Amino acid sequence: MTALLTVILSFIGALICGLMPAKSYKSIRWVALATAAAGFILSAICYSNLSDGKFADKFEFDWIPSLGISFITGYDGISLPLMLVTGLVAICGVLFSWNIDTRTNHFYAFYFALIGGVYGVFLSLDLFLLFVFYEIAVVPKYFLIAIWGGVRRQFAAMKLVLYSFGGSALVLLGMIALFFLTKDANGKALETFSLVALQNGEVAASAQYWIFPLLFLGFAILAGMWPFHTWAPTGHVAAPTATSMLLAGVVMKLGAYGCLRVAIGLLPEGAQEWADYVAIFAIINIVYGAFVALKQDDFKFVIGYSSVSHMGFVLLGLATLNEIGLKGAVLQMFSHGVIGALLFALVGTVIYTRTKTRMLDEFHRLIDHMPGISWVFIAAGLASMGLPGFSGFISELYVLIGVWDGVSESSLSSWILIGAGLGILMTFGYTLVKIHEAFFRKSKINNATKESTTYPAMTIPEKFGVTILLGASLLIGICPWILTDKITPSLKLLKLFAN
Amino acid sequence: MDYFLELLLTLLPDLIVVVAMFAALGLDYSKFRDATLTRRYNTSFQITSIGLFIGIIIILLQILEKMPGLDIQKTAGQLSLTTTTLTIKVIIFALGLSALTLVKRDQITKHVSEYYALFLLATLGMGFVTTSQNLLVAFVSLELVSLSLYAMTALNQSKATSAEAALKYLTFGAVASGFLLFGLSYLYGATGELNLTEIGKLESSSLLITAYLLIFVGLGFKLALAPFHLWVPDVYQAAPTPVAGWIGSGSKIAAAVLLIALLQPVANSQDLKSAVIPLIIALAVASMIVGNLGALRQTNLKRLLAYSAIANAGYLMVGVLAFNEDGNQSVLFYIIVYSIGSLGAFAVVSVLTDQLGRDAEINDFNGCWKTIPSLSIAFLIFLLSMAGIPPLAGFLGKFYLFLAAISAQPDVASLNEGFYWLVAFALVMSVVSLYYYLRVLKAFLVAPNEESNANSVSIGGAAGFAIFALVAAIIGLGLWPQPLLNILAQ
Repeated sequence: MTALLTVILSFIGALICGLMPAKSYKSIRWVALATAAAGFILSAICYSNLSDGKFADKFEFDWIPSLGISFITGYDGISLPLMLVTGLVAICGVLFSWNIDTRTNHFYAFYFALIGGVYGVFLSLDLFLLFVFYEIAVVPKYFLIAIWGGVRRQFAAMKLVLYSFGGSALVLLGMIALFFLTKDANGKALETFSLVALQNGEVAASAQYWIFPLLFLGFAILAGMWPFHTWAPTGHVAAPTATSMLLAGVVMKLGAYGCLRVAIGLLPEGAQEWADYVAIFAIINIVYGAFVALKQDDFKFVIGYSSVSHMGFVLLGLATLNEIGLKGAVLQMFSHGVIGALLFALVGTVIYTRTKTRMLDEFHRLIDHMPGISWVFIAAGLASMGLPGFSGFISELYVLIGVWDGVSESSLSSWILIGAGLGILMTFGYTLVKIHEAFFRKSKINNATKESTTYPAMTIPEKFGVTILLGASLLIGICPWILTDKITPSLKLLKLFAN
Repeated sequence: MDYFLELLLTLLPDLIVVVAMFAALGLDYSKFRDATLTRRYNTSFQITSIGLFIGIIIILLQILEKMPGLDIQKTAGQLSLTTTTLTIKVIIFALGLSALTLVKRDQITKHVSEYYALFLLATLGMGFVTTSQNLLVAFVSLELVSLSLYAMTALNQSKATSAEAALKYLTFGAVASGFLLFGLSYLYGATGELNLTEIGKLESSSLLITAYLLIFVGLGFKLALAPFHLWVPDVYQAAPTPVAGWIGSGSKIAAAVLLIALLQPVANSQDLKSAVIPLIIALAVASMIVGNLGALRQTNLKRLLAYSAIANAGYLMVGVLAFNEDGNQSVLFYIIVYSIGSLGAFAVVSVLTDQLGRDAEINDFNGCWKTIPSLSIAFLIFLLSMAGIPPLAGFLGKFYLFLAAISAQPDVASLNEGFYWLVAFALVMSVVSLYYYLRVLKAFLVAPNEESNANSVSIGGAAGFAIFALVAAIIGLGLWPQPLLNILAQ
């Protein structure tokens, strides 16, 4: 039950926050912080309880037996890192929205409804249940962006939600197909949604060939896969800081997690058939995202496209279909969850509330005016770039080794490797260029941030938030075994590696 | 026991409702003739709602077999009183009771007791359609429903459009009834039987294909399927809001139950199936397109709900296609769940607009989150359920429809076999539908309060309780649908 408590507590937190009067926003944010912290602590307890790769802490009852639906939750080494990152980002999201004072009660009600849904997806061991939580996570995003967002928020919120639902529609169709086309040893349809039962069943290779793209594409839309990524930058930019942190930090991971757990987990042969295509799309994600990030003038758009680019590494890791590549993908989900959230927090709240602009042209040598913040951002940027010592380096390294293995086993074309190399170079390029433009360049515009202005230092909640996220990235960068020890045994149990 | 006494007991719920109806009419005409309008509405409400409530209790007792009533012999094969049909009937009565609380608030006409009486007659008719086992009983009951609804649509004398819509409804409806009766006569001609169980055993013949063509026209009108939908937006917009809600919920359940019963012969005959399925697909696709694309451009909330009703009728037909047990159950489950959500949405609109004095535009609801948070949340739940967002009941309803449709022919080599493509199309259409549902919810929950035209309204005890009960039903059936599914499976 420990794991399931994360979901329950988040929903209770949402209810409490929603029912509190908007006037008492000061107490609401403490309730919010406590709820988020409770989620992380429970995830940490789950971490210490997990001893092998099997599903732990299972909670199970027949929910709608006549439709083959049961309520099964549990976690393994693949879901655990994502629960942890959800907990971390949830806490920091509250810290970085410490100043929110319009409809605070509603804000946190939607916020924790979203987080509860996210935890639920990572814990579901029944496909139907997973879908239910997946959808629960979609609706609050609309309101979070449409009510508290910035410029063009209505458009961005609607676009994001419709893309998400388009993806879900594909997933739903794939789910129903799996329900009927997964057979037992005697060739009888299983007619169940239980992930474990489905994993033990057989799906004919011809059926896998057409179901896999439905499920993978459906989930990958939420993971920001090109050319269905366009919801991500607009959504991230229009969203309030806490929401863009959640979007980049965990919601995009929902998609990637679904790709791994459902599409690859249940349809290994379909995955092998389509691996090359997935890899090509992943490379386009990385390179295209990087190029577009390079061209942006709005700092938040830079981060938005860098998210798309980094999610490309997750997809690339998934495409390798070997253990080390998948390990890299899971690790990259964690790593980008932490770093992506941090970058959005820095740009959306820490820098923006001080400069009142996000346009890079208008920044005038911020390194002189807000040195502390600038150095934090530079550290985060380098972490995002994949500097050794940070988690991004380890995860992208694993992905690349996975690709290299894939190429040497000739399951992937060698062009993929060249593309990935180009992607790495591009990531270096845009990160350094944008750091230069933001912090070291003199502004050519008159109404730019003035030379004489000095900005206040970071507030206490901001300091805490930065410390937590940067610390998590450093910790995993230096001791990756903290997570890989848990991830690897679970990956080995995937149907993909059964033979 | 005496045969007639038993028959009396079997029909006791309906008799009590009739008695309550006459009591309301009689008292309103005599004792309360000169009382104030509010007083008259309240008295009639009390009498009729008590009547309906006792009716509900008795049906529940019948279901639990504490009362005679489940023996089909007693009605000489005219009524089929099983747990399933009685449960659907009790749901209709309960929904009718919730709708009555809206009539009480909606004081648009001086014909107070007639308003209530017509409402009860419609409810009674729906109950009889669901339990009828005989073509003629079913048809007459359905006409009882329709005639009451036509009359109620015209009740708002302050609006010219009300009479216009009623006339439109009547003209279209009469033609549709003609088609339905014509179709039923063919069914009778093919068998010489009026009993639905006997008709269920029919062999295929070209006569039957013609019969179904006609029946689809007739019931397509009642279910608001495209291309028989032209009356829907006008009637929903111009009818008194509680009446529109009742057209969109109770009468839909009745029509869907009848459709399922009439389609029984098709499941057994491959020839008939291959003739009827293209028709149903055409109706389903047309309704989904017309409903969903039509709703995108609406600015009037009731019209938008009307187009959403057309779209939802389209989804319903996807489940009908399965022609198996799962298909029938999914259709019944869906129409019940949809009716609860739809009535709930109309209830909220009714409560919010009865002081507005004109048709409610979507923008009129800007800022409701501030003035009436509880109703805004209720509306959020009703609309999300209709849009098919889990864990609300509407999602499970749609999901079951799609699952059932695919179960008809699950083993396929690619997506264009079986009904996968149709389900895919329905899913795409529900993504479209989310756009307009969210547009409405944006007014309710997102738009700032400064632009708000919505005054603070008092919801009132009875209506408030009804809306609360409907919300609870939507959430409850979403989280714990198994009991209802079990009943429908019997």
